[in-house]
Amino acid sequence: MRKTLLLLVAAAVIAAPAAAQLRLGPLIPRRPTTAAPPQAQPVPGQSPTDALRADFAAQSGGTTVYFAAGSAQLTPQARTILAAQAMWLRQHPTVPVRVEGYGDPTDTRDHALAMGAERAGEARDYLVLLGVPSVQVSAMTWGKERPGPPSAVTVAP
Amino acid sequence: MTPRFARILFGVAIACVSASASAALQPGAPDATVIAIPPMTTPDSGTKGNEMLAVAWQATQLIETDLRQTSELMALPSDRKDYYSYPEVTAPTFRKWRDKGAKALITGFVKSRPDGRYTVGCYVYDVDKGRELGRIGFVVAPSDLRRAAHKCSGLAYQSITGSPGMFDTRIAYVAETGAPDARVKRIATMDSDGYNHHYETPGGTIVLTPRLSPNANRLAYVSFQGGVPQVRILDLASGEQRPLIPGGAMTFAPRYSPDGSKIIFSMMLGPNADIYVVGATGGMPQRLTTSPGIDTDPSFSNDGSKIVFESDRSGTQQLYVMNADGSHQRRLTFSAAAYATPEWSPDGKLIAFTWRSGDTRRIGIISPDGTGEKLLTSGPADEMPSWAASSHELIFQRTETYGRPSLYRIALDGSAPRKMTIPQDGSDPDWSGTLD
Repeated sequence: MRKTLLLLVAAAVIAAPAAAQLRLGPLIPRRPTTAAPPQAQPVPGQSPTDALRADFAAQSGGTTVYFAAGSAQLTPQARTILAAQAMWLRQHPTVPVRVEGYGDPTDTRDHALAMGAERAGEARDYLVLLGVPSVQVSAMTWGKERPGPPSAVTVAP
Repeated sequence: MTPRFARILFGVAIACVSASASAALQPGAPDATVIAIPPMTTPDSGTKGNEMLAVAWQATQLIETDLRQTSELMALPSDRKDYYSYPEVTAPTFRKWRDKGAKALITGFVKSRPDGRYTVGCYVYDVDKGRELGRIGFVVAPSDLRRAAHKCSGLAYQSITGSPGMFDTRIAYVAETGAPDARVKRIATMDSDGYNHHYETPGGTIVLTPRLSPNANRLAYVSFQGGVPQVRILDLASGEQRPLIPGGAMTFAPRYSPDGSKIIFSMMLGPNADIYVVGATGGMPQRLTTSPGIDTDPSFSNDGSKIVFESDRSGTQQLYVMNADGSHQRRLTFSAAAYATPEWSPDGKLIAFTWRSGDTRRIGIISPDGTGEKLLTSGPADEMPSWAASSHELIFQRTETYGRPSLYRIALDGSAPRKMTIPQDGSDPDWSGTLD
């Protein structure tokens, strides 16, 4: 895994037990449009949290922000996705979002842990810079302690 | 829980080992010192005598097993039929052992006591010179016979190599079970020979990097329990725990000072990981590094006066050494590869590290003055070396080709790494000093 990834995870207002959280597979990115509805359209058979998560991913062009190996600098592509995410979050001010940072799997454990935290912090700071209230965004790191899925959103009920 | 271990009879005679005697035994010579281990005996007679002879034979086998793990000593096979009388313990027939090629000899006795415990005595001799190198004695409960034997092995090892033995030591590590995407991680501790294996944390949360206090009664480790990684202190006897410092900041990479009074660790504030020191029982953390970037994996020198750590302030991870108060920071490694997870050896002479280039991680050593760099393993995924008390051997984590981590030990003499037997996968090993 050459690229490292950073996972943007929307979490519910009420903290949910980890066991209740769900993972989604890769989603097809779509450009956000100015005509995007502020609320997700419910899909039959889909829970409201799933719908919210799917909408976030679709509207913001992805939930995964990539960095160069060994770097916590935001790339132009990363800024594009984060800008779209910030737009969605400003439209959904009651939905807290959690940024989860990952290190490089071939790094040593503690450096990977700090690198994941640094990357998560960079992404969070950029969202806040773009007008997302800081209380809406939390950040944490998995280092290399969890295999990072290529794209994932978790929304607690 | 910790067994009371009464040292008696001879006091500490290890210190009496003379340099000339050690030299006669060629310490550090490429070929190992041959040591004879005649069966330990007993002064008891009758039924009790037979019972104690059996116990003494167990102790003999334990010592032989211990010494066979070292690269410096070569144990002659013990033979139970090779009966050794009690007077011979203090007056060995040196000629007999010289003829068998032995340069050293360890023997001793086990004596029963009215209270049910044993008196164990061990003696180490220079066979060529026909003189005693050291002796040690204990009163132990029957369940502590293993520890007494480890202490005897340690006496032989120290008498011959001049370095502390690593037989009566503990190892802490992270026990890993379950599928790759749902690993269950628990802190585990065990004796260095694999006995007395315990799980110290329940496994519901991710745990990392256990680090034993010098006397192995406490453990500093990192837990994801509070959402972000934070250092916690666990009292191994009582099971009580507490966060190292209050507050919600991310803290990681803890290590005890050699005297156990302080803990150094990294704290993440904003995009910066810096190194801090705090009293082992609490207090106000003191910041030691301020450079931008990630400063982590600090390790005290054996005298506590210096700290080696890794920093990516130059762009890649490199090793740095500073005084214990954070002053006089200087870079130790200067190469295109990355250097990480340094640990200072107990004798102060070497620093072990993880070498990283591309996707390859290997274990290496370097002198504290930056000379003598040498890679010991071939990788491709080795990391987190921790020194044995002898400073002649390291334990480390190797991720096998199928992606599962195991614990290995490797001696500095160039021999191949040996996989350790543990009940499941294991990572992040930490090897304690010799226990009191």
